[in-house]
Amino acid sequence: MLAGLRVSAFLAWKSIQRGSRGTLALTIMIIALIFVNLVFLPSIISGVVETFDAQSIDFDLGNLVIEPREGSQYIDDVTSLQKKVERIAGITGTSPRITAGVTYFYRGRNAASTLYGITPEDERSVTRIAEYMTAGEFLSNGDTDAIVMGTTLAGTEGEEAGGLPSLQGVGVGDSVEVAYPNGETRTYRVKGLFETQSFGVDTAAFVTTREMSRVLGLQDQASMILVKTAVNGREDEYKTEILSYGVQEDVLTFREKSGGFVEQAIQSFNIINTISTLVSLIIAIVVVFIVIFINTVNRRRQIGILKAIGIDQQIIINSYVIQVLFITAVGALVGIGLNAGVTTYLTAYPLVFPGGPVYPDVEASAILRSIGSLFGVSLVAGYIPAWRIAREDILTAIRG
Amino acid sequence: MAENLTRVYAMGNVEVRALAGVSLEVAKGEFVGIMGASGSGKSTLLHILGLLDRPTSGSVTIDGTDVLGLSDHRRTLFRLNRLGYVFQDYALIGELTALENVYLTSLVRGASKDEYIERSADILRRVGLGDRMDHRQSELSGGEQQRVAIARALVNSPSILLADEPCANLDSQTSKSILDLFARLNEELDQTIVMVSHEDWHKEYFCRIVTLRDGLIGDMVECRKA
Repeated sequence: MLAGLRVSAFLAWKSIQRGSRGTLALTIMIIALIFVNLVFLPSIISGVVETFDAQSIDFDLGNLVIEPREGSQYIDDVTSLQKKVERIAGITGTSPRITAGVTYFYRGRNAASTLYGITPEDERSVTRIAEYMTAGEFLSNGDTDAIVMGTTLAGTEGEEAGGLPSLQGVGVGDSVEVAYPNGETRTYRVKGLFETQSFGVDTAAFVTTREMSRVLGLQDQASMILVKTAVNGREDEYKTEILSYGVQEDVLTFREKSGGFVEQAIQSFNIINTISTLVSLIIAIVVVFIVIFINTVNRRRQIGILKAIGIDQQIIINSYVIQVLFITAVGALVGIGLNAGVTTYLTAYPLVFPGGPVYPDVEASAILRSIGSLFGVSLVAGYIPAWRIAREDILTAIRG
Repeated sequence: MAENLTRVYAMGNVEVRALAGVSLEVAKGEFVGIMGASGSGKSTLLHILGLLDRPTSGSVTIDGTDVLGLSDHRRTLFRLNRLGYVFQDYALIGELTALENVYLTSLVRGASKDEYIERSADILRRVGLGDRMDHRQSELSGGEQQRVAIARALVNSPSILLADEPCANLDSQTSKSILDLFARLNEELDQTIVMVSHEDWHKEYFCRIVTLRDGLIGDMVECRKA
């Protein structure tokens, strides 16, 4: 058995070493590119999910969202609820928000979008918007006539924002008029502009809760309370914990709040990924099959001679299988190298998705799965043609 | 020992009788030449003796083993351990050097590296290729390739060396050197050789000449030695 494998390895190595270099290099390159294709799309999907999660947590929703119980428009006694939630171990911050759909007016232009009323200090304990100011400053607790605005909403002079709300050129220090849903209008001085690259956030603006409560006539009320936890990924546990503290309001994880959007996107991506994986593997099967088939057909006579001089057909088959394993192993290694190159490039110049910049997230499991499936299909595609020729009658093979 | 061998091929609806009942006994140390016209059945007989083909009927016994009763795997092992085969067109593995071609079968037998390299090199020196061991097929002349093939056939000390028109692709000078080599191996090593040939001048090398005619032994002549 061992002597047989030794001979198979010997024949395989000599064939690789002294066979056609061009065919070998081309086959390895094809396997490498198939490997990149197998790993690339899942890494982008993981990147999309990671980006969406990070953007949602850092800028939009925090880890959890407490919403008014059914039938209510606002959460009451916000301060006491905040205190209750913040007592839970692992909760690092809460930020009540009042939400209103408003219309902004600036130099004869208008845009309808969302305005949030926040307590700046609380907001800093949950989201990172204040760290992403491109001009001016973030709000302070005492501000009543100031507004901070996303760069998409502020816009650029003379440029449409591709269907997104844009005031086309608002700058720090400009005055913007806001028409509230209750008919009240206020004029605010733009204190700062932020850019998070999350479209939902960059098309909104913020004023202080103090200001918005006064306009809307609210008293210690909020449309939602964002909750930040010490670690990401354990939202369900914290949700149960919050509910166990007797919170009557609805508690949603950021995923639940986003209404299954990510799940739907992931499902669609996974369908595309499955099709892409299948096509890649079929290409791998066809390429390896053709290479080994041509190889064995060209060496049909040689295979007959090997059998005639007493080499067992399994040794001959195994020599082709070892060649395939070598080609696949080197192809996968080259593929890992290429993939590292693509990943490095896309980390430096990320793809921009509506949820923000997407960095490829190469998971070890995706690499292992791709290597496993490549080896699996290559083995089958290499074994079958070698087996077909090697089991031929000796004289038929020798006669070619 | 071959007894009453027949071999019938079906070519479409036509049956071709390549061997019609050949019985032949080859003694240890004999150099037997099988001759005959084209289509007389000499290659078919050699293929059956070399376990490359199965007869339609009859029996073949080599070293007391009924080789026709062996499974395919056992036949392969028998070819490896007991038989050496030299083909008309050398049949070397192009990707291997002369030395590698020779020691390949020893590798299969599980010999140690030192052992198979020493033995293969020794046989290559014996056939006059001591300085051509590391050359590949494409770097060797026809005569040199056939010597490598002979060395490969001899490396495992076979009971019988079977040669199928080994000089067919060689010029007369090279053919003579190959036949001289066979004669020397036969005499010095007492190597049993069964060789197919259609050249009359080869007869002088054989101990015994078996002439086939229409699938039957037409003539059997003792010549060089008894």
